[in-house]
Amino acid sequence: MLDEGVRRFAIGKISEYYAHTAKFAIPSLEKREFGIGNIKKIDARHLSFNSEQEFRNYLVTNTPLFVSHSAAFYERPGATPIDKKGWLGAELIFDLDLHAEGKYGVYPIIDKVRDDAIRLVEEFLIEDFGVDRKNIIIIFSGNRGYHIHVRDPDYFDLGIEERREIADYINGTGLNYRNFFEEMEIPGRKLTKKLGPKPSDHGYRGRFARAVIEKLEKEPRSISTVFSNDEKRTKFVDGIANGDWNKTSIADIVERLEPIAKELPVHSIDTDVGVTQDVSKLIRVPNSIHGETGLIAKIVDNIEKFSPLDDAIAFRMDEKNAITIVFTEDVPALNFGKTSYQEFKKDEKKELPEAFAIFLMLKGSAKITS
Amino acid sequence: MELADFCVKYPFSKKAKELLDSENIQLSDEIVARGLERVKKALAGETSRSSAFHKSDKVDEVASYAAARMVLGYMRNRYLTNRFAVAEAKRANHYLSGEEATVVDEVAAEFGIVSSSTGGKLFVPIPTFVKFAPKSIDYKLINRNVHAGKVELIYREKIRLTEEAVKKRAEHIPIVKNAPESVKKAAEVLKAELPKLEPMKTITFKEGDNPPCIERLLEQVKKHENLNHQARWSLAVYLVGKGMGIEKVVSLYSNLPDFNEKMTRYQLEHIKKRGYTMPGCSTMLTYGLCCAECRIGNPLNWKSKEERMKWHKERENNA
Repeated sequence: MLDEGVRRFAIGKISEYYAHTAKFAIPSLEKREFGIGNIKKIDARHLSFNSEQEFRNYLVTNTPLFVSHSAAFYERPGATPIDKKGWLGAELIFDLDLHAEGKYGVYPIIDKVRDDAIRLVEEFLIEDFGVDRKNIIIIFSGNRGYHIHVRDPDYFDLGIEERREIADYINGTGLNYRNFFEEMEIPGRKLTKKLGPKPSDHGYRGRFARAVIEKLEKEPRSISTVFSNDEKRTKFVDGIANGDWNKTSIADIVERLEPIAKELPVHSIDTDVGVTQDVSKLIRVPNSIHGETGLIAKIVDNIEKFSPLDDAIAFRMDEKNAITIVFTEDVPALNFGKTSYQEFKKDEKKELPEAFAIFLMLKGSAKITS
Repeated sequence: MELADFCVKYPFSKKAKELLDSENIQLSDEIVARGLERVKKALAGETSRSSAFHKSDKVDEVASYAAARMVLGYMRNRYLTNRFAVAEAKRANHYLSGEEATVVDEVAAEFGIVSSSTGGKLFVPIPTFVKFAPKSIDYKLINRNVHAGKVELIYREKIRLTEEAVKKRAEHIPIVKNAPESVKKAAEVLKAELPKLEPMKTITFKEGDNPPCIERLLEQVKKHENLNHQARWSLAVYLVGKGMGIEKVVSLYSNLPDFNEKMTRYQLEHIKKRGYTMPGCSTMLTYGLCCAECRIGNPLNWKSKEERMKWHKERENNA
């Protein structure tokens, strides 16, 4: 349970952010359902607004710690229960996140999710699904991952089963790379010829062939020490280029490639919560505040260069606006707001910039000194 | 092809609806009787083929599809509706398989299934494909050639997607509240012919007795959804492996909309006699049937909560 002093302080700052700074761009805002949360991420739902101004006024006055909107569009977004709303379609949403030990364990490795988000967008959504880049919105979730919103009307009317099929494709459910290979008998000889995918093939086949070639070039020994030999490696790689996987003496070569196949899908898509499948799911409003961190669930323009704890900061980081807090638990060393902080100990008092202080307090690691 | 012939084959089409409107067809007792026959045949697992010769006869036949839907809309019996939809879809597939490409394209386009061809290959947009792909491992998106928003397929598969689309449209029936007397009578007749199903009583499982993949299949059977071959097979091997008698499995499978008692019984006896082993979790995953990560290697290794408690207790006692 969040400390009351912390809550009041944070709410005041968040309200100011909504009044002066927050830039919203919610397509079809009036057709969406909204949900707000203070204790949980969603305590109340079925809210609706007629305009951005009305929505903003609500946030400035009532200021929840979390605010979400539906991926779906409805004729009557405020109606209850859900089947009275008149479902008109829904954006396709992907939720990518990472889990790690401890409250702060995820931040040093958060770039791993970013890499998955980039692969999801570039390899899957654009290349395989043919979605136009301008219809893909990447949002830092405000804590430990990314949300991808696909605003391509061609995908809006898909139902639950159909969305599941798409999620399965991306996270590799049902993928069996052995099916890429066919054994062809060579007449008159006891040999069989292994026909397999080519790097120029589409989808998973091509992705697999390209990944194998990359591995052979970068870490050949991870497949077999045989490939340390340049000649043997080049011969095998040249064969793969034509879909001929026989140019090696390693009999169980296909078996050895399993670890590479396992890396092809985007594993960090959270399909357990069913964001992709759930057509009435609420998802954090882009550019709203995440109430567990005080960070902006920010629309990311250049994901390659994006660093959450530096670039999604909503409040002030200058020395003039520092506040004094007391730690209620140990906190490991962290980089925040382009500054490196050493670890903090329980009961330590410290004057810290507003944004970082709010981050630590909302995380439940510190309180305002009275 | 004559318009009336097209409509007889494809009574779910816009053209068929227009034909009925232009001929000003009323729901006569005779047409309702023909609708009743249509549903009865579906229930018996037969597909009704047209033998209509004169135009008026053909128009009546088209109307019998609408009448059948009215009866089903009044009855609101999911089992009957699903069986009807499966029969109509198979009937459409039968006719489509003998048609020229232009006719197939026209019928498919009714459902928004529009293909494009490049370099002698046929493609449909991904959303179209996932909407109408049958639940089968061969049609899982991950096993397909996917590029730039399109899925490659062959002509026979386009017909198969269309069959699925016909099924979806046929099972989507608006509720009929104020039905004419003839429809009510037909409903009475059908009710009497419905097999006495008490499926879930034949299953003695409690919640949590089976792994999630099996629970999901059982749930689908209960809802009269059509399972693909791998799903049906895996569930049967599982149930037989759990010691369920053949009669009980047959009675459970009678919920499936395209249930064929003889075939089911034959397959089950085969499973029992040959002692087929349950597909492992990785195979279930490849079949697209795995829906959780239980890490048990094989669905038959699942332990219910009670079994797990017992196992822990025994281990403690032995220690």
